[in-house]
Amino acid sequence: MTTIREKGYAHWDGEFIDRRFPWWPITRTSIKLAFQRKHFKFFFSGAFIPAVVFLVGIYISERIEDFRFMFKGSDKLLVINPAYFKTYMTGDFLLFMIVMLLTFSGAGLISDDIKHNSLQLYFSRPIRKMDYFLGKASVIFFFTLVLTLVPGLIFFFMKLVFSGNFDFFLAYPWLPLAVFAYAGLLTVFLAFYTLLISALSKNRRYVSIMMFTIYIFSESIHGILFGIFRNPYLALFSIKANIQQAGAAIFGQKLPYAFPQYLSFLVLGAVCLLSAYVLKRRIRGVEVIR
Amino acid sequence: MSIEVKDLHFSYGNVKALNGVSLTLGHRAIGLLGPNGAGKSTLLRILLGFLVPQKGEGKVLDFDISREQTLIRRSVGYMPEDDCLIPGMDSVTFTSFFGELAGMPRQEAMKRAHEVLFYVGLGEARYRRLETYSSGMKQRLKLAQALVHDPKLLFLDEPTSNLDPQGRVEILNLIKDISSSKNMQVLISSHILADIESICSYVVILNKGELAAQGRMEDLREIHYSLYEIKIKGDSRPFVRALESAGCKVDETEDRILKIYMPSGRDRTEIFRAATGTGVQVRHFVKSQTSLEDLFAQAVGVD
Repeated sequence: MTTIREKGYAHWDGEFIDRRFPWWPITRTSIKLAFQRKHFKFFFSGAFIPAVVFLVGIYISERIEDFRFMFKGSDKLLVINPAYFKTYMTGDFLLFMIVMLLTFSGAGLISDDIKHNSLQLYFSRPIRKMDYFLGKASVIFFFTLVLTLVPGLIFFFMKLVFSGNFDFFLAYPWLPLAVFAYAGLLTVFLAFYTLLISALSKNRRYVSIMMFTIYIFSESIHGILFGIFRNPYLALFSIKANIQQAGAAIFGQKLPYAFPQYLSFLVLGAVCLLSAYVLKRRIRGVEVIR
Repeated sequence: MSIEVKDLHFSYGNVKALNGVSLTLGHRAIGLLGPNGAGKSTLLRILLGFLVPQKGEGKVLDFDISREQTLIRRSVGYMPEDDCLIPGMDSVTFTSFFGELAGMPRQEAMKRAHEVLFYVGLGEARYRRLETYSSGMKQRLKLAQALVHDPKLLFLDEPTSNLDPQGRVEILNLIKDISSSKNMQVLISSHILADIESICSYVVILNKGELAAQGRMEDLREIHYSLYEIKIKGDSRPFVRALESAGCKVDETEDRILKIYMPSGRDRTEIFRAATGTGVQVRHFVKSQTSLEDLFAQAVGVD
């Protein structure tokens, strides 16, 4: 450590700025910190594997004659339509990878602040509780949207580029909106889900385990109970099943589970409401000084 | 005046945390003292704009404490008592991050972070991860983040807690430097009375949610009593009784020094008269300064 006052203190003569998004420094810094974590870049890159595969699929679908030897007559496999988009967006592997990424990048978002008492520093700045929440939630928004909305829109655009006409757009003009709607739903749900669990414990490791376990365990519960009772409504216990049911509804596809789609929306919405309630109680400005 | 509050009331349920506190503070370094539950934290919460008083009004740096909390937080710096960090960060990123949250442009926050880190003595360690910092370094880091946006008023909550003697002296020197020559006002809440005594020129003592005493250190010392330290030869008991009957309070230390607290307006020759009257010899006589500890004990009614 150097001697105190090695350099003198000078007053700052700049001016404060009123940011339109005061939470942006929180988001930017948290994303940067996530990329500094061990193995994170590896998982982040791995999460793009489905996007690359589906993009190649779109290319092949436009050059099907060149690749016919690979399919032996079953060219129906590569029909690019809303179902293709839904398959990518609600695919098991993609959802799994997103949850994995969020356990790395999102687990410590609030739990680290609680553990290391930094909430009081945030709230001693001119930011509101909502700014803090938006700053943290935007980290989840970033990682989820970059794996859902961005590839979805790129698929749509590349389909038009590879086909060289607007037939696909004219056939499915609502598809980009469906991509937006599903990506938005998934993002908001996962943001609330991640922040809820992150706010429940001071230990980032426990939070990571909880996030992952609840996602897997809810699916296992669904599988076990369905095996016993054969009731399709039991899928409401599964996070993945509810996301897939809502996704199928948004893309106008056949529902994977035999119950009304609105129930899945209700379940996802209820988790968000519960999360908002817990976050409101856990992140309190008045606790900044004990 | 940097802080003006009038008739502040605040209760947590049935527990009255503040009961009609009125203060006008504009001094360079102000000490906030009081036993646990005295209302110090509640007062700080209100001054920082986290709580709105249930009754009463006030201003911090001319911003209303009930309506302009955001503006208050932009103009004040806060150094909390607990260790605070964000794991994975180095101190430059940490300090500039909180500068940005205060509203500084990003590049200026970064430049300023380097400056204040050098100022608090963390210049060489500014790229080290915060998890590797010692207690003293974390304390300096908290001070750096409180200074980064160049506040006009600094709230310091137990700034020397968990520090070794050398670290404590260094932090106190920094605070002295800030309050004396950097045109910045400092409000220090501390349990370490010696710290307050060495830095602050003005003291506010709270007790049970009410103002127990406030004023300039010199005035408070003078108002209540004069303190004399004497050594005597002979039986001290009749001598002490004589002094007590004359309205003085007498304490005997382990090394047999008698500390005589004489009410203001009394003549010190009374001590010698009592000695003559009880047949003891005065071997040592010094007019001592009353310590803040004495003042605190008298204000909050504890020995």
